[in-house]
Amino acid sequence: MSEPKKNTKMTVFKTDRHEDMAGMFFVGLLVASILFYMAYIIPSVSIKAPAAGKVVAVAVQAGDEVAKGDLLYSLELKGKPEPKKYKAVTNGKILSVSAKPEDKVKKGKDEIMVLQHEKGTLP
Amino acid sequence: MEEKHGMAKVMAIIPGLAFMVFTLYILRIYVEPWMAEAVVMGQKGWLVKVLSLNYILLAILTGMLYRNVLWSGKIPDWAAEGFRTTRLFIKSGVMMLGSLYTIQGLFKVGGIAITLIFSFVFGTILFVLWYGGRQKMDRSLIGVMAASCGVCGVSAAVATTPAVRAKPADVALAIATILGFGIFTMFISPAIGHMLNLTDYQFGAWVGTGILNSGQVLATCLAYNPNIAPGTAVAYGEIWNVVRVISIPFVVFFITMWYWRAEAQTEQTSLVRIIRDKFPIFIFGFFGMTALSSLGMLGAEGSETIHLMRQVMSWIFGLGLVGQGAYIDIRELRAAGGAPLKVGLMAGAFKYVLALVVVLLFVAKEANF
Repeated sequence: MSEPKKNTKMTVFKTDRHEDMAGMFFVGLLVASILFYMAYIIPSVSIKAPAAGKVVAVAVQAGDEVAKGDLLYSLELKGKPEPKKYKAVTNGKILSVSAKPEDKVKKGKDEIMVLQHEKGTLP
Repeated sequence: MEEKHGMAKVMAIIPGLAFMVFTLYILRIYVEPWMAEAVVMGQKGWLVKVLSLNYILLAILTGMLYRNVLWSGKIPDWAAEGFRTTRLFIKSGVMMLGSLYTIQGLFKVGGIAITLIFSFVFGTILFVLWYGGRQKMDRSLIGVMAASCGVCGVSAAVATTPAVRAKPADVALAIATILGFGIFTMFISPAIGHMLNLTDYQFGAWVGTGILNSGQVLATCLAYNPNIAPGTAVAYGEIWNVVRVISIPFVVFFITMWYWRAEAQTEQTSLVRIIRDKFPIFIFGFFGMTALSSLGMLGAEGSETIHLMRQVMSWIFGLGLVGQGAYIDIRELRAAGGAPLKVGLMAGAFKYVLALVVVLLFVAKEANF
C-alpha cells in the first residue's frame, strides 16, 4: 500500500483563487451581519469616550430627541488647544447620560451616554 | 496527512482554528492589559512603550513559539488544517481595511504609492537579477529570489515558481530568507520610526515599501500605532501594500520573460494570460469596501458601527497573525545560507534603507486625506 500523500499546501482551499473568493464571501457575510445587527437587532448603543480626555460640556440630557448632526458633547483632548465636538451620527433618543463636565474619561472604557437609535439606521 | 473533503475537511479545520482563537483571546484579554500595567526597568508599561509589544506582535511571537518550541518544528496534524486558514484571515482583514478609505482619498495618496512601489519593486528585481548573476546563482533560483525580494516573500515566489521551473527547495530558501529579514525589520522598525519622529503617513509609506509581506506590514504598522482608523500608520501602510500586491502579475510576467529569453526552449505566455491566472482577486474586495465606505453605507466615521467593525477587523488580523507566526520555522531560516542569503539580505537591506531615505526626503509629513 502506498504512503498517504502529504498535504503541504498553505491553504485549505483548492487554489489561491478559491481562497480569494472565499475571503470575499466571508467578508461580505461578516459586514452584512454587523450592519444588520447594528441597524435592527440592538435597540440602543452605549457611547463610550472615543479618546482619553476631559469632558468639557454635555449638550443633551436623558429623554432628549436628537437628530443626525446635533451636538452631543465635547472633550478636551491632550495636546489639542480646542475641545473636540462630537455629534449624533443618527436620529434617536438619549436614554441616559453618565458623564458630566470636568469628568476625566478613558478611551473606550468610560460611558458618556446611551442612545436609542432609529431602527434601520447605523448608530 | 491525507487530503480531506467536504464535512471531514470542515471538522479537520476546527481544532486548529479553535486553538488560534483561544490563543488570541488569552493574549488580548489577559496578556496585553497585564503588559500595559507591568513595571519593567522601573517604568510602567515599558514592554508596550519601548518594545512596541502589542497583541499583534505577541500573536506572531506566540505562533513562532508554538511551532518552534512547543511543537518542535512542525505543526501537528490535529492543528494543521486549522492553521491553513491563516492567509484567509489575513486576506479578509486586508479587504476589510478598504473601509478606512474613500475613493477620493485613494486617488490622493495612490499616485505617490504607485510611483514608489513600482520603482522599488522593479528596481529590486533588476538588482537581484544582476547581483544573483554575479554570484553565479542558478537562473531558476535568481528568478524566485527576484520575485520574493521584489514584491512579496510568499505569493510572488510561489506564483513565479512554475514559470522559472524552480525546485521546491529553492522556493523554500527564497521565502525563508526574505521572511527572516522581514521578521527582523518588523521588530526594529517601530523603534526607528519613533527615533526619527516619523508621522503615521511617513511610517506607513516606508514600511509599506520596505517590508515585503502583507502580514508583516500590518504587524509593523500596528506596532507603531495600534489604532485602526483613517490617518493611522496601518491605513497608510495598507495602501502601499495593496499597490504592491497588485503588481504581482506584472512581476511574474517580467521575470518569466527574463527567464525564457535566455533559454533554448521558448514558452507561449502573455501578460493577459498571467493576469487572468495570477491576479489576486481579493483586491476587488478591498476596493468594494472602499466603495461602500465612500457611499456612507458602513456608518459614519466615529459611529459605534464603525467601532464594532474595526474591533472585528482587529480580531481577524490577530487570528491571521497567530497562524503567520506558526508558519515561521526557525530551522528553515537557519538553513538559508550561501549566495541566496547574501543576495536576499543585500536586496532587502538596500530596499529597506533606500525606502526610508526616499520617504524622509520626498514624502510630506502629513497626507491630505
